[in-house]
Amino acid sequence: MKQAVRALGWATSILWIILLFFTITVVYSAFQIRPSFTTKPSVSTSHDTLIVSLPFILYNGGFYDISKFNITTVVRDDGGLTMARSSTFVPIIPKGVNASITHNTSLGIGQLATDDLSYLLFNDSELNVAAILKLTYANAFPFEIALNSIMPWGAPLSNLTIGGVSGSSLVPLSFENHSYFEMSGTVQLEIVDNAGHVVGGGTTGFYAPPGSRFERDVAVTLSGSPLNVAEVRLYFQTSFFSYGPVVIPVVWG
Amino acid sequence: MYGDESSKSFLRKMLPRIVKAVIKGLLYFVLLYVVPMFLVSQVSAFAPRLFSDYGQVVTLFAAVVIFFAVASELTSGTIFQHALNIGKALILIIFFVVALGGGIVRLDLNIQESLPVSIAADLSVYLMMLIAIDLMGLAKSVLQAINFLSESAEKQLPQPQPAG
Repeated sequence: MKQAVRALGWATSILWIILLFFTITVVYSAFQIRPSFTTKPSVSTSHDTLIVSLPFILYNGGFYDISKFNITTVVRDDGGLTMARSSTFVPIIPKGVNASITHNTSLGIGQLATDDLSYLLFNDSELNVAAILKLTYANAFPFEIALNSIMPWGAPLSNLTIGGVSGSSLVPLSFENHSYFEMSGTVQLEIVDNAGHVVGGGTTGFYAPPGSRFERDVAVTLSGSPLNVAEVRLYFQTSFFSYGPVVIPVVWG
Repeated sequence: MYGDESSKSFLRKMLPRIVKAVIKGLLYFVLLYVVPMFLVSQVSAFAPRLFSDYGQVVTLFAAVVIFFAVASELTSGTIFQHALNIGKALILIIFFVVALGGGIVRLDLNIQESLPVSIAADLSVYLMMLIAIDLMGLAKSVLQAINFLSESAEKQLPQPQPAG
């Protein structure tokens, strides 16, 4: 009995010392992990996708490996609708290693043309960006850091307006591009009368770099009296999306 | 006269235990309270919102361990010593489970206005290690108590006298 008690006593003491040593080294090592952002985040477009790149370096200066490193970003609109979800996974960052990681978040601009998100084409708004970082430290401690932030959204077709439809063959069209990407393509106008018949129309090309205002008098053909015009329908065709009709009622002053 | 003698012998018996208990208590106070609180304050200066609450945990842990160490020393040589050691092991298991939130530690911070950050750590493996070592301590205390009782019972048995 006494030998068993003695053995248990020694084992308990040794295990307490090992655990204490492990705890101290883990806490110390955790403070030796240093992220650094050497390059600024960049925004680029590819086909119909807006790509936000966040390059950074993670230096694991501790005594233990970082494994299952995973960053997930979820972009949602005001109503909570998911617009983009991107993940970057690094299986292992060994101790003493500088790991260069680039997390890309891809936002399909084409999906803005869907019914649920089309308001983002015309209205500035705020997008909710949720970033979740998960990692396992020392193969024993899973960590999760969740961060929520707000990103301003600039509408590519902000303040879209059509001037008065008169007897003239020119209809003024204007909008402001508040977005991060270039807007170029064509817009087709359909002029509709009170009976719902298309009584005229026209097409024009447009190009609006980020932060610019586009204004043009669009040449249209109109059959019948302009007093019978009820609305103008716009159909946009860009490299990112096709959207229409945007119905703008004609109000006679 | 008899009372004086009895109290003198009690004091003579207890004095070494009291001295030992005081020394042990002071040693534990330095090791389990002064040093950890210094470390917590150092780390708190680095990340105050993250570690400031751990002062209470360290204080409670030190109080529990010092109380049981002193009480165990004062009652050494009796069954109460082993009972206190068993009690300490059980209370420490409960303490670890409560202090580590059952293995999941969560912290909500507001680094900037409208920038909430939530940190969660799964310390269940660490909690298991703590409980496993504490259970070994509990087993040791139980065995010590059984050994103490069996030795006491043996002493009470009539000693065999040599024949003739």
